Amino acid sequence: MTGLKYIAGKELKASFRNKEFLLIIAVFLVMSIVSVYIGSTTKNAELKAYESIIATATTTGTEVPTTPVIFPLAILKNLVEYVVMIGAVLAIFLGYDAFQGERQGGTLRLMLTKPIPRESIILGKLLGAGLIIGLLLTVTLLFNIALFAYYTGVFPDFVETLRVVVFLLIAFAYMMSFYAGALYVSTKTRESSYGFLLMMVVWIFISFVIPQLAESQKSYAYAINNIAGTIAQVPGETVLSSAIGWLSPAVQFKSVGSDLLQAVSETATIRVDRLLVANIAKVMYLIVPSVVLTLLSLREVKKEAIL
Amino acid sequence: MLVAEHLTKFYPNIKALDDLSLEVSDGAIFGFLGHNGAGKTTALSIFTTLMLPSSGSVMIQDMDVVKDNLKVRGILGYLPENVSLYGELTVRENLRFLGRLSEVRKVDQAIDATLEMLGFSQWSDSKVKTLSKGMRQRVGIAQSILHKPKILFLDEPTSGLDPEGTADIRDILLRINAELGTTIFMNTHMLSEVTKICTDIGIISHGRLLLADTLKNVETQYKDCKSLEEIYFRIGNGVAQ
Repeated sequence: MTGLKYIAGKELKASFRNKEFLLIIAVFLVMSIVSVYIGSTTKNAELKAYESIIATATTTGTEVPTTPVIFPLAILKNLVEYVVMIGAVLAIFLGYDAFQGERQGGTLRLMLTKPIPRESIILGKLLGAGLIIGLLLTVTLLFNIALFAYYTGVFPDFVETLRVVVFLLIAFAYMMSFYAGALYVSTKTRESSYGFLLMMVVWIFISFVIPQLAESQKSYAYAINNIAGTIAQVPGETVLSSAIGWLSPAVQFKSVGSDLLQAVSETATIRVDRLLVANIAKVMYLIVPSVVLTLLSLREVKKEAIL
Repeated sequence: MLVAEHLTKFYPNIKALDDLSLEVSDGAIFGFLGHNGAGKTTALSIFTTLMLPSSGSVMIQDMDVVKDNLKVRGILGYLPENVSLYGELTVRENLRFLGRLSEVRKVDQAIDATLEMLGFSQWSDSKVKTLSKGMRQRVGIAQSILHKPKILFLDEPTSGLDPEGTADIRDILLRINAELGTTIFMNTHMLSEVTKICTDIGIISHGRLLLADTLKNVETQYKDCKSLEEIYFRIGNGVAQ
């Protein structure tokens, strides 16, 4: 479509010259590095505790606990939280002013008098945001693989890499749905600050309020961690907690993300394709909002009263 | 040539344009005068394909602004009132982006030639946010003529500029008209500017076109009036009565 790539290119250029945006990107990258560091030190601590238990058991002649199964990708599991928290805010930041800013600055009128279809403006912006978010996630992937190799001493194998790539694709869909939401709000509002505030309220509900409500409705069992020697609460889904969880894409993203990053031992060895099939409803739930919100934005931009 | 026939535009609860018919000939500099809320911007928005008329038609170079809107956009240039452009981008980057949207081939050469013509080459690598209002207005004009349009629409091009900036813009418009042969249609309420550069004028009040003619004919017709301002008020008052 005419003009699409130029609009996308302009979005890229303008975003990477925005100091606030660069700051959020830096925070996201730093948090992802910290996440790998925390994950690896936790795993190392668990291993050390196990080794200490073995040493004690060997000395005292007591029963030696079974060898723990280590799922290496689990050291990346905090990434899920960072995408929910910082990734979504970054996407909102990219989108909340994307349309209204053009309207306010008069550049929307300029673009609309160029020989390009109106839809190009929305699709170009989506493409630009997609490139920015994709680039950020690719850099995160490379960083994480490098750190993973550094901390574990081995490069992730094909299956592990595939899990991380699929996770990042789903993270991409999750972040794009926030961008598409912010862009749609931006087409509807005449005040950028109002759009930002509205999207932040949506983000708070999706990321914190609903997940906590769902969490509060779970049933809890207790389990003893025989490696660390601690007692842990094991949450169990109830019908109500599951139903509430479906109100929040964050809950579904965390669920799929945790499965892919081997944070849940029950699903840690399942093949990626089977995992995706089993989670197809959740994956669709993360993709569909972007599509619907984009269609709504396209409908909005076709209206005469967008100026 | 621009030909508007029986143009009417309704907004909720208001008739912004009332049966407006108008012709602007090729090569003219047309000053469209009227008080705030007279309907100037609505008319300009319809001419530039930004808005649909409720009824009536507008043809630019024999192309209908509604049916052939993409083609019409290819031959028009437009400068909205108070356009701020993209502050984080340089002058060249702004022009490159907007030039490409206008399908300008060899866009960098076109930018060089346009900036040269506007005497603005030394600012090409400056970020737009660092420029004064008058300088930004020049960049705005540069983007509007980059693709050598047949007709250039300007909405209050000298609004908010100091006398020096106003004179600069006036000279630039005269040069564009003379060197590129571009027809210029500008909305304004600065009567002094109109007398200095316009060949034709139109006066609109409450959505109705009160007069449209060459400036020379208008001055001949109202030769007892000392200034365009006096003519403007006489025509306006005549309608009000």
